[in-house]
Amino acid sequence: MKIWGTGILKGFVITMRNWMRGPMTVQYPEQRLTLPERARWTVTQKFNEDGTTKCTGCLICEKECPDHIIRIEMSKLEDGTKHIDDYVYEVGACMMCGLCVAACPFDAIYMSHEYELATRHSADLSRVLLHDVDAYVKPKPKKEDEPDA
Amino acid sequence: MSEPRLDVHAQPGPCWSVPKGLRRVPKGLDELATEHLVLNMGPQHPSTHGVLHVLLELDGEEVQAAEASVGYLHRGIEKLAESRKYHQVGTLLDRSDYLAGLHTEAAFAMATERLAEIEVPRKAEWIRALTMELCRLASHYVWAGTYGMDAGAMAPFLYIMRDREMILDILEAITGGRMMFNYIRPGGVFADLPAGIDQPIRAFLSTFETYLAEMDALLGGNEIFQARMHGVGVISRETAMAFGLAGGTLRASGVDFDVRRDMPYAAYPELDFDVPVATGGDCWDRYVVRIEEMRQAARMIRQLVDGMPEGDFTAKVPKVLRPPAGEMYAAVESPRGELGIHIVSDGSATPYRMRVRSPAYYNLAICDEALAGSLIADAVVILGSLDIVLGEIDR
Amino acid sequence: MNAVAPIAIRILAMLGLLLVNGVVLIYMLRKVLGRLHIRIGPNRVGPFGLLQTVADVVKLLTKEDLMPDSADKWLFWIAPFVVFVPSFLAYLPLAFGPNLAVTRLDTGLLFLLAVLSLIPIGVLMAGWASNSKWSLVGGMRAAGQQIAYEVPLLLSVLGPVMMAGSLDLSKIIEAQKNLWFVFPQFIAFIIYIIAAQADTQQTPFDMSEAESELITGFANEYGGMRFGFLFLAEFSNMFIVAALGTALFFGGWYLPFLADNPIALSLGPVIFIAKAYIGIFVMMWARGALPRIRVDQLLAFAWKALIPISLSWVVIWACIQRLVLVR
Repeated sequence: MKIWGTGILKGFVITMRNWMRGPMTVQYPEQRLTLPERARWTVTQKFNEDGTTKCTGCLICEKECPDHIIRIEMSKLEDGTKHIDDYVYEVGACMMCGLCVAACPFDAIYMSHEYELATRHSADLSRVLLHDVDAYVKPKPKKEDEPDA
Repeated sequence: MSEPRLDVHAQPGPCWSVPKGLRRVPKGLDELATEHLVLNMGPQHPSTHGVLHVLLELDGEEVQAAEASVGYLHRGIEKLAESRKYHQVGTLLDRSDYLAGLHTEAAFAMATERLAEIEVPRKAEWIRALTMELCRLASHYVWAGTYGMDAGAMAPFLYIMRDREMILDILEAITGGRMMFNYIRPGGVFADLPAGIDQPIRAFLSTFETYLAEMDALLGGNEIFQARMHGVGVISRETAMAFGLAGGTLRASGVDFDVRRDMPYAAYPELDFDVPVATGGDCWDRYVVRIEEMRQAARMIRQLVDGMPEGDFTAKVPKVLRPPAGEMYAAVESPRGELGIHIVSDGSATPYRMRVRSPAYYNLAICDEALAGSLIADAVVILGSLDIVLGEIDR
Repeated sequence: MNAVAPIAIRILAMLGLLLVNGVVLIYMLRKVLGRLHIRIGPNRVGPFGLLQTVADVVKLLTKEDLMPDSADKWLFWIAPFVVFVPSFLAYLPLAFGPNLAVTRLDTGLLFLLAVLSLIPIGVLMAGWASNSKWSLVGGMRAAGQQIAYEVPLLLSVLGPVMMAGSLDLSKIIEAQKNLWFVFPQFIAFIIYIIAAQADTQQTPFDMSEAESELITGFANEYGGMRFGFLFLAEFSNMFIVAALGTALFFGGWYLPFLADNPIALSLGPVIFIAKAYIGIFVMMWARGALPRIRVDQLLAFAWKALIPISLSWVVIWACIQRLVLVR
């Protein structure tokens, strides 16, 4: 027959054993956990090697976003090239679902690991990722008998 | 249940006015007049597991009647789903039952696939089962920790957080998110398992049994806790079936029903697991059933990791899915019970109607009956044992 | 004038001890609970978080003094004092060293226990005067609980009193020169620690401030320094029952086998307080490890289990002492 009270004493032993194991606290901000590769945080632009944007202004990410927090303002220059005036991204409203990144056919955006987004200024809640750049146009492949232009 | 004993909503005026059922018995000078105290438990309360409002009519410490009033967390998820495309609805359903987001996503994906007749590859089914069992463990951990806290023991809450961190790290490595996974989509899953994911899963499984045994000894082995749970909140088998309860609450009342075994989906037909059933129907039985479910979930995770097949992680699904017009219902076994999603499609890119059959909503409906006759302290323990999540009750 | 100065110094010392105790115990509680819960307690405010209590006290002092509109003003105002002053008075008969007590009362123990039993009145006042149903439930529970557990507390201390033959705490400690009373009086000691835990409203007996049900129970509507007084009184009570347990069962300032050593005697107060703090540590450990007993089970346990056991122990020990030990 189990003596009444052994369960309580076992509870004491277990809590002391867990004390001896040491705390599991990660003392932020001095210590930080490393995020796995797939962790989804803010949407960030990717760039080519020469620094130009990879975004072609196809507007698929704007249509895919369930909450409509991406707003891209496009214009056309005189010679017909597409020009991105502003790529506005409401980081304060973003739920980091990753649907925009999954939909982009040109691999121009990715979910970065930037999670320290707390701010005291409400202007920081809206970011302009691209401003006044030409949209990327994939260069046509050169034919063999055409001279270098 | 005949007419409600608390008549608050029949009164004109604000809902906090004195209900008609208040018993006031004025007597002579040498006899005391007594009245029942009407107490608002919630919506802000440390133990109502969310924004739940329960009106308690008390005679001293004993609850005479109880009435749960929900809706404080209603966000219009079912209405919002009518303007989302099928692969975007998962983001909404993550937030419905936030402790079992993968299960809700899976139910929706299954309903869409059955409607659009998409065949999911075998590996995707196995990945779905693996992530869903991990999510089930995470949800049961939260239940156990908050259950201990409701009864007064603060230590188990922190111990489960240690174990839950391991699971959430694994799920973050697989899906990209710790709570809002957005991973199970119609057709399969969003991405393949990352390489080397079995290492953290096996590391978690190696310490799982030790930590669970410790927590079980701390909670279930403690005589004080046992005294608080035995004989409290008894739900008979007939009541359980009449109210449409599900999950651990149902199995603790003696009904042997589990969606994974009786209406199989994902990889469950190929897995070896037992379904724990108890017959008492009180809080102790619900506790024991859920702890055993956790052990079975770990057993299944081991089989899933050992036997993960090769193959595609998703079927070829068009970018904008347009299922044929019709309706379909699919159910999964979420940690709270049978979670079903009913879709009505009109052939367009967005669902015409999506209805979530949330198990916690029906589990909560029993509280009006189960709480009557108990003490306030028992009321808290009974609500804890039902394992409710207000997100899916209110949607 | 000359008669007043030493008394005034002693009372000020008593007050200082109470306040220092409160500060140290709050920090100790947070650290001990933190470590039992596999986390670190406060460690940011000051080195190792030592200034955390100072920060808390400053916060409480600078908070707005709220009183619910429909609260009973006089009772609401006076309730924290009715809770705090008895635990301040209870320091009077405690003897920390061979000649180190605020005053020597012949009925010191009786005075201490009588004064401790005034606290439930204050708790009930606080619960009632807040005019909130939740506070009322907390106050009612506290009243029932503390009254129920006063009786085993009183009965369990009768064993050491019989062995020492006096109610004066200094004499009781001196009677433990050769043998600490915990060994012959083990049953009384077990009853004492259970009743002490209940009387100071610590988990598993903290129904009156059941944090997961009533938030802070009877002190729901109290904020700022009023709450500070109630809070301080709780920790002060913990020290008092621990000090009383040390005095009655663990030999007070005597170390085993060193009862006549002058160095050990001069370190008497340090030893006494160290033993009391070990007792408090065990109380905090129970707070971190155990769930709460339901109020009807609590009262049933007191009336049906503790009181019969402690009554029978008193009778048994009286027989043993009279018939067997007295030569």
